[in-house]
Amino acid sequence: MAKTILVVDDSSSLRQVVGIALKGAGYDVIEACDGKDALGKLPGTKIHLIISDVNMPNMDGITFVKEVKKLPQHKFVPIIMLTTESQEAKKQEGQAAGAKAWVVKPFQPAQMLAAVSKLVLP
Amino acid sequence: MNLDAALQTYIVESRELLQSMEESLLRLERQPDDADAINATFRAIHTIKGSAGLFGLDDIVRFTHVVESLLDRARDRQVPVDDRLTALMLDCGDHIGHLVDTAAGEQPVDPLALETRQAALLERLETFSPSSVPRVTDMASLPIERDVVVARDEAVPVGNGAWHISLRFGRDVLRNGMDPASFLRYLATLGDVISTTTLADAIPDAADMDPESCYLGFEIDLRGAASKETIESAFEFVREDCQIHILPPNSMVGAFVGLIAELPESIERIGEILVASGAVTHAELVQALAEQEASGGEPKVGEILIEEQVIQQTIVQAALDKQKQVKEHKAADGKLVRVQADKLDALINLVGELVIAGAGAGVLARRHGDGALQEATALMSRLVEEIRDGALRLRMVQIGDTFNRFQRVVRDVSRELGKDIELVITGADTELDKTVVEKIGDPLTHLVRNAMDHGIESAERRQAVGKLAKGRLMLNAYHDSGSIVIEVGDDGGGLNRDKILGKAVERGIVAAGASLSDHEIYQLIFEAGFSTADQVSDLSGRGVGMDVVRRNIEALRGTVELDSMPGVGTTVRIRLPLTLAIIDGFLVGVGEAAYVLPLEMVLECVELPEAGREAPVHRAYVNLRGEVLPFVRLRDHFEVQGQAERRENIVVVHYGGRKAGLVVDRLMGEFQTVIKPLGKMFSRVQGISGSTILGTGEVALILDVPSLIQQAAVRESAHIGLFAQGMADRASVSVQ
Repeated sequence: MAKTILVVDDSSSLRQVVGIALKGAGYDVIEACDGKDALGKLPGTKIHLIISDVNMPNMDGITFVKEVKKLPQHKFVPIIMLTTESQEAKKQEGQAAGAKAWVVKPFQPAQMLAAVSKLVLP
Repeated sequence: MNLDAALQTYIVESRELLQSMEESLLRLERQPDDADAINATFRAIHTIKGSAGLFGLDDIVRFTHVVESLLDRARDRQVPVDDRLTALMLDCGDHIGHLVDTAAGEQPVDPLALETRQAALLERLETFSPSSVPRVTDMASLPIERDVVVARDEAVPVGNGAWHISLRFGRDVLRNGMDPASFLRYLATLGDVISTTTLADAIPDAADMDPESCYLGFEIDLRGAASKETIESAFEFVREDCQIHILPPNSMVGAFVGLIAELPESIERIGEILVASGAVTHAELVQALAEQEASGGEPKVGEILIEEQVIQQTIVQAALDKQKQVKEHKAADGKLVRVQADKLDALINLVGELVIAGAGAGVLARRHGDGALQEATALMSRLVEEIRDGALRLRMVQIGDTFNRFQRVVRDVSRELGKDIELVITGADTELDKTVVEKIGDPLTHLVRNAMDHGIESAERRQAVGKLAKGRLMLNAYHDSGSIVIEVGDDGGGLNRDKILGKAVERGIVAAGASLSDHEIYQLIFEAGFSTADQVSDLSGRGVGMDVVRRNIEALRGTVELDSMPGVGTTVRIRLPLTLAIIDGFLVGVGEAAYVLPLEMVLECVELPEAGREAPVHRAYVNLRGEVLPFVRLRDHFEVQGQAERRENIVVVHYGGRKAGLVVDRLMGEFQTVIKPLGKMFSRVQGISGSTILGTGEVALILDVPSLIQQAAVRESAHIGLFAQGMADRASVSVQ
């Protein structure tokens, strides 16, 4: 059974490209446009990995991670955060919240796949 | 859905974002402290940039990166949000719009105009930048692949053995969303996991166990071509929570040792050497350094790395050797000062004058009989002596470099001759004067070539007489009684005594029927116009070699002699004075004049016994403790006028293994002698090698001891010859 990855980003084009890359590698992909949207999609779904942006409207990535860690069913799901090199402070905040894996934007789809495959193989 | 469709989405999305950014900026213009507005502006640019990277739109990434950096600082209030900023941001927004249009391919925009506009905008952006913001010119190298998690496969030789990976997961690994199994699965994509041992001994009793904690450890053997860096990167997300040791396969140890040896010498730190070779990853080094700091800096980094099972002892040792080598080179660089040779010569000349002036002061002090003054001059002369030795030592260089040049000569010449010859160098650290070193090269080359050409036999001939097929050439140097001896030896067939003698007679160098010792016969090959080679080869045997060698060496106040044993080999021994400038001398007096003997050649002084004084010239020898000592009366030799002193002395000198006595009137003691060459006029005078100036201003001649010894010996043998002649005469008389 294919592993399911939740991609959370306010850029639909980024979601699309990441989606194409992940699906091409054999993952199932669920998209969400911000933290709030993503939280709404979690209940009742088996998720193997979350990829989330930090800067998003409505609910930002850090808050989203904190919320995920409160959910019994999802608190052990690995999370990859997307960040920029200028956001060292955000990175530490995110690590405190429970996100351990980071990928720096902008990235190539192949780089994203490499990071994902270290946590979940399809 | 395909990428083209995604790109369309990106373009639409970017335009929307630019639109909303414009709205936020206009809002900011009215209310500069509207945090939401500045955040929204930042987010818009951030998103445009982030997605642009996915599509490889590097132009947009580069430009938005600059804009984003500025906005980031505006967000943190490091840059005031004012009209100037919002106006610039609006212009930037327009420009990004154009870039997006270009990416969409919809609107043919003049690329030149676009570029000009971008340059102008970047310049304006620059005005906001402190030095911390990357400069525009750096942008080209900045984007995309920095700090990303892509696995780098470095070219590391494939070993037969396996990497050993030792993993101890942290308790919180599961809570952090990391599944140990997923790492093991990923590892399997890097190579063949040969074996996995799960360590469960850390799991507590069921009652105490926290199901959300991870208690597991793994020992994994992985075979594959992945580099250490790549394997480590598999665990990059758990690195902070776990203990990971990656030990290279034993078969790779050699490869790492090789890599370490080949590293450039710019790296001096042990850790950096290890990282550069790939034996240790950067992260491992950082951890080891942290541990070192934690324990007060006591254990060495290498020790920590071995203890932590990061690498093998052998690799650390190789790195240590490398480090030592680098340090030695650095140290050697640091210790050397390049000085022009003429400056040194000027210094040594001055020291020479100082020696003479010092001696003058000493003479005056003695004449005045002032004790305190004498003491002062004695101290001064001792210091001058030290300065002299120090100054001369400045000119001393090791002969090793000169010797090593012959490695190449021997290699080339032995190829040319089709002989297999090895060069053995000993005494390479023997020091001698730089001038001598410079001038010794040519004669040595001659001797070496000669030895290889004529000395060492062909391999067949060598094997026929039971020698090793490989010939051996030896270069040796050592100090011996104030001179340096350089030997060029070979293990060849030795000189053919009869052939040399025959040739010498044929060439008229010696009279037929002359009785010569082996040693004297061997010396004949140094005579001009002598060659015994049956065939004249390119290398030697033109009969100009050996006498030129001798002349060169004699020009350096040296001598050359030769030992040879048939079937065993030949050794040419060159004796050279250590220095050409100043020597310790022994001052003697004959009549009014003073002469200097090099002190290192003086053995002892004895009084000339009464019997010796009466001895005629041809029977000039005395009994020195049961030994026959031929002597030369300097008074006779230099035809000094006047009567001899009532008591004469013999100075016993030695040189090159031979002894002789020089009869003088007075012994005047040690004297530092600055050698002044004699003019051309005197070059034919036998027994004198130079002159010097005494403290009193008088000139003293420096005696050429080797030639005087030679003379004494010749006279002695001539006398024996004469004696034999006399016996024959008498015999013939008695027959009559």
